[in-house]
Amino acid sequence: MTIPEQRLVMGEDGLAFAGHKLSRASLDACVKCTICETACPVSAVTPLFTGPKFVGPQAERFRNGESVDHSLDYCSSCGTCTLVCPQGVQIAELNSQARAVMKADHMPLRDRLIGQTVLMGTVMTPVAPIARAALNNKPIRKVMEAVIGVHADAPMPPAQSQTFEGWFRKRPKPAGPFPRGTLVFFHGCAGGYFEVETSKKSVEVLEHLGYQVLVPKQGCCGLAQQSNGLFDGATKDVLKLCDDLRSAGTDLTIISSSGSCTGMLKHEAHEIMGVDDERLRDVGTRIRDIMEFLLELHDAGELPTDFAPIEMTVPYHAPCQLKSQGIGKPAIEVLRLIPGLTVVDSNATCCGIAGTYGLKKEKYEIAQAVGKPLFDMVKATNPELALCDTETCRWQIEQSSGVKTEHPIYLIHQAYGLS
Amino acid sequence: MSRAVVIGAGLAGLVAANRLVDAGLDVTLLHKGLGGLQLGQGSIDVFGYAPERVLNPIKAVSQVATSHPYAAAGSAAVLDGLAYLKQELPTLLVGDPEANYQLPTAVGSIRPTCLAQPSMIAGHVRDGAHLVIVGIRQLKDFHPQLVAENLARTVLPDGGRLTARHVWVDLPARDGEVDSFGVGYARAFDTEAFRIAFATALSPQLKDDEVVGLPAVLGLADVKAWRDLAGKLGHQVFEIPLPPPSVPGMRLNEALTARARSAGVRIVPGVRTTTFSTVAGRVASVTTAAGRTYSGDAFVLATGGFESGALELDSHQVVRETLFGLPLTGVGDGPLVHGDYWGAEQPLFRVGVSVDAAMRPIDPWGAPAYPNLWAAGGILAGASGWKELSGDGIAVASAVAAAAAITKELS
Repeated sequence: MTIPEQRLVMGEDGLAFAGHKLSRASLDACVKCTICETACPVSAVTPLFTGPKFVGPQAERFRNGESVDHSLDYCSSCGTCTLVCPQGVQIAELNSQARAVMKADHMPLRDRLIGQTVLMGTVMTPVAPIARAALNNKPIRKVMEAVIGVHADAPMPPAQSQTFEGWFRKRPKPAGPFPRGTLVFFHGCAGGYFEVETSKKSVEVLEHLGYQVLVPKQGCCGLAQQSNGLFDGATKDVLKLCDDLRSAGTDLTIISSSGSCTGMLKHEAHEIMGVDDERLRDVGTRIRDIMEFLLELHDAGELPTDFAPIEMTVPYHAPCQLKSQGIGKPAIEVLRLIPGLTVVDSNATCCGIAGTYGLKKEKYEIAQAVGKPLFDMVKATNPELALCDTETCRWQIEQSSGVKTEHPIYLIHQAYGLS
Repeated sequence: MSRAVVIGAGLAGLVAANRLVDAGLDVTLLHKGLGGLQLGQGSIDVFGYAPERVLNPIKAVSQVATSHPYAAAGSAAVLDGLAYLKQELPTLLVGDPEANYQLPTAVGSIRPTCLAQPSMIAGHVRDGAHLVIVGIRQLKDFHPQLVAENLARTVLPDGGRLTARHVWVDLPARDGEVDSFGVGYARAFDTEAFRIAFATALSPQLKDDEVVGLPAVLGLADVKAWRDLAGKLGHQVFEIPLPPPSVPGMRLNEALTARARSAGVRIVPGVRTTTFSTVAGRVASVTTAAGRTYSGDAFVLATGGFESGALELDSHQVVRETLFGLPLTGVGDGPLVHGDYWGAEQPLFRVGVSVDAAMRPIDPWGAPAYPNLWAAGGILAGASGWKELSGDGIAVASAVAAAAAITKELS
């Protein structure tokens, strides 16, 4: 496939795009039905956020460069409003764009730092035990909270001694054959540095099914920067990632077990930051969440269901950024194929963390309140194990409920007899 | 297992999905956003005006013209659907298909409806009743004086009169919030502490024998919150639905969605279904804007009407059914919209798809457009739901009839 010349609407002038193109075109479809207001998990727990309609389709009409409603900063960008809107208004996208503009001239240092996920991973991995100890150390965390503004009790990524890439390169190569062909695996920063087991198990399941799995060297999708309003850096990262993933082949299906990064590639980079680039379109249409992929196989009658029984009742929480991909909750459908396993849908709107929102000291309490019904449900359903598709949500659920929280692929891996 | 795909999650789509999964089918429910239930009153209108006020809704159903959706679905499907809703949602819906409730509205008119929430029915207007309508200062969607004065000057459907006055309670839903919406109050009423505070503020203002009318915000997750409040006040209470967001509508929406979810319906929210494919004249699959394809043996079109984008009117007065491009009834007989907005009914409102007795959309010659495509709810031609107050009943009956036809066809 030949790739047309890159058309990058954002580029150096990224913020000029924000709030004035794609999403704004959807603004007039708002009929003020208030369905988004009823579904917003943040305004439900705090009056500091006036709600998605008020700061979105309504306030947007008054914005002319400057934002008229600063409560916008309390939007967590979970995307629930867009998901529930019956008229197709891109409410969350409008709000993310307006917030980026609002913060542009006084971006907090903290918000710049927590977007640097690759940096965090590369710094922490070689000194994993020390990093783990430091992030679990109350006095150090108190200093962090005071200096940087990351709440002392907020969940932190678990430092690992080996990266996924290190494991993938050093392990004995699977001999094949690979009757089902070749896939590309996208692990994301968290799946590369912190949630290494999830990535390993994903690759092992795919190989067990008979796929050859390629893992090109890859960088960050830029999601954490995007959600903090750093659109220029995020745009560079996401396009670089597209190049990375395309380097493995331009017609292969790309699989990821990092639910939120998948959403960034599928639609967020385009809809929120206006990245209009053939490479993104290409990657965004070829990528599948791993549970979505397994369900597609099952729907086509191609998924082996020789699962060993797992006698267990387990709570499952679908993350916001998975739900906004418009694929339903594929993990539930696939997990229900395992004999003996009872999967209980949390049906909670949001765990509260929303990427980096719940880390911030001024938003920590709100994020905890948002997630409380979920934490209670998880504890009541199974105090030993919960399942969730995205990394930061797992850290949040685990930290706040005390229940070990893993990716659904763990149980698929186990039921196939791989662990 | 046969696979059914339902498109749309309003009342019709939710009832169809539930009935199909009950019948043992593998059901996928695709919907763009939340359905219309929480924009309604939270009751089930079957027939309110025909064109005079209806007292016996099921009798009015049996008397419709052959072009009306009720004629296709039949009275039996209406009764079946109403019985199903009452059975599945016993804490949320009560009523008699042969007798409408006559309930006060937020502007103080009297609205006929068939099934209502238990929290509403003490408002059924009666000769000699003494009502007190309670406003909340921080809830600006409800004007108790307007409600009370309009009710007090109205001759009731049975010829009687009632008395009504209004009082205010000054109690924020959350500390410091001076302008809350209904859902904020509903969440507050879910807590015992708020109900105590509210009852404490209201009790001294009530007179013996008064029935207490309140905005319909008496609890959301806790469907018995209203009953607890009534106990605390020592008076009968009733809820009056507000403009959207409708808390009673949210209760229905959540209950029907939760039922579908727990029965195993695969629910895929946030997707716009844009295209479809056929094989040998049958619908084989539908595809979403995000490029995901859902194949099935049966498809139910429950996408609504103009309000949801299921029907589209362009600047040349051409109406289109936006997913399947189905033949439409009610077009081609002159202008669809006339300028006399307070005059005769706009022809546009009756435009939709016509169906056969199995609820399959038909072409102008009466043949099914596709043998495995069914339609339910607001997409159907031949009714002005907003004027007749028949939209809920049509949705329920057509969904029940379509599900029965599908079950029969596939078994």
